[in-house]
Amino acid sequence: MRRRLRCLILGLATLATPAWAELVVVANPKSGIDRLSRQDVVHLFMGRLRQLPSGIPAVPYDLPVESSDHAAFYRQLVNKDVSEIRAYWTRLVFSGGVRPPRAADGPAELVRLIAADPGAIGYLDRSRVDARLRIVYEFPANP
Amino acid sequence: MNTLDMLSGRRSRLLRSAAVLAAACLLGSPAAADAGDERFTVGAFGTLGVARTDNADIGFSRDQSQARGISDHWSAKIDSLLGVQVNFRATDSVELVGQVLSRYGAHGDFRPEVAWAFARYDVNPHLALRVGRLGTELYMLGDSRHVGYSQLTVRPPNDFYGQLPFYHLDGADIAVTVPTGPGLLRAKAFYGRSDEIAPVGDEKLDLDGNMIGGAYLDYQLGNWQWRATYAWMDLKHDLPQPVASARAGLYGLGFTATADAMGLKGKAARFYSLGAVYDRGPLQFQAMLGQIRHDNALYQDSTAGYLLAGYRIGQLTPYAGYSWVRSKDKGLTTGVAEVDNAVYMQDLRAAFHLDQKTFTLGARWDFRRNMALKAQVDMIRGSPESIYLRPPNSITPQFDGRINVFSLTLDFAF
Repeated sequence: MRRRLRCLILGLATLATPAWAELVVVANPKSGIDRLSRQDVVHLFMGRLRQLPSGIPAVPYDLPVESSDHAAFYRQLVNKDVSEIRAYWTRLVFSGGVRPPRAADGPAELVRLIAADPGAIGYLDRSRVDARLRIVYEFPANP
Repeated sequence: MNTLDMLSGRRSRLLRSAAVLAAACLLGSPAAADAGDERFTVGAFGTLGVARTDNADIGFSRDQSQARGISDHWSAKIDSLLGVQVNFRATDSVELVGQVLSRYGAHGDFRPEVAWAFARYDVNPHLALRVGRLGTELYMLGDSRHVGYSQLTVRPPNDFYGQLPFYHLDGADIAVTVPTGPGLLRAKAFYGRSDEIAPVGDEKLDLDGNMIGGAYLDYQLGNWQWRATYAWMDLKHDLPQPVASARAGLYGLGFTATADAMGLKGKAARFYSLGAVYDRGPLQFQAMLGQIRHDNALYQDSTAGYLLAGYRIGQLTPYAGYSWVRSKDKGLTTGVAEVDNAVYMQDLRAAFHLDQKTFTLGARWDFRRNMALKAQVDMIRGSPESIYLRPPNSITPQFDGRINVFSLTLDFAF
């Protein structure tokens, strides 16, 4: 019975979420990092530690909150809805004054911002990654 | 910058050098951040809420900071509030934050107050200093009690947070964050001065000038976050009427020790708490334990805790919670039966007693971006003597210790 319920919930969740593109976490080639752990990525994007493992202060960037990649990123990273991420940041913003990652206007601006700043970090569809960026985290094939 | 300079001028040398460093950053950093970077932001959060109980004999309020409670008809009083916050990024590492809040408070109205006004200086990614008016973090999550949108439930559990009427302090804090093993260790220390008041009956207990200090240790590992906090408050003012005249009477009769024991001035209150939060995808779980100890003989020492769990299914998150609080009479006596049995002495001893538990059931519906609707039922089950958290002047002899509270709220944040 429980298994059937779980199947149903998973099924509904799959229906509600559009199939996502393959997202990767990217940094500047001068960031001094080759690889991040999933925990590192969580710390950076959830505002817990704003520093890359290489010691450079980190500047995380989001894609626009309306974009499906934004929703897909947090779904894959922490299995949270956009509304839950929003509630999470609401607490931090209105208690500590800490700001959430700045949202780039879109993938093109994100690439520009990361290419211009060694501490910048973001996420993108793999097809948009070029020589100006370095892939530092890939989600496991079967999340 | 000016605010930081001004504030730090009165503070320690450490903070002064921090301001100098900040100035150096301002001069040394490349010209203003990239186009589109918002240095100045305005945000708002609020709650429109109605609640009622099924008990005409006694009131219910959010916590000890509210002048009056609600009873058996719908009221928008206790949960509705509006907050507006302004952030200004002075430099890459200095941020100025101000927040104004309007809610039903100690004066029995919605007069706006400056909730926070501080400068934060991120010395480096591991070290942050704040100076100014800060939120109190006596308990985990205690500094965001007004931000309903950030919480699962309609309001923070009354049994646990209800005894804390203080929300801010004027002072400074320092936070250190270091990766430790696979997790993140965070330590924070704070010290400052209160300027708030708390309603006691028709009177007010002045908290102005009380010094608050404390520290916590927080560890975040994967889906878990743990925290241990210790804080204290040095009390500078005695309780108002009717305690004041009771004490005067006792002094007049020569019961000096008893009257002294009922004083607050020069004594401390201590707060100990442990908290754990588990958050994994749609599942979240909170467990908290707290203890309050008072040096005076009137306020009873208490132990409180709560468990809360929620599971999101699509836009809907049903949740369930259990909380409790218990306190112990300190056996304040004069040794003379005629005095101890006097009704006013019995009433004073009884006024600070707590022995109750609450079952909470509810659901949060994130029906659109930045907005959530919540419906909640709290079933408070206590002894009829558990009256300390009940709002002033609401206690009648009919009270049997049972209250059901029904709440509906719309929370938003922009």
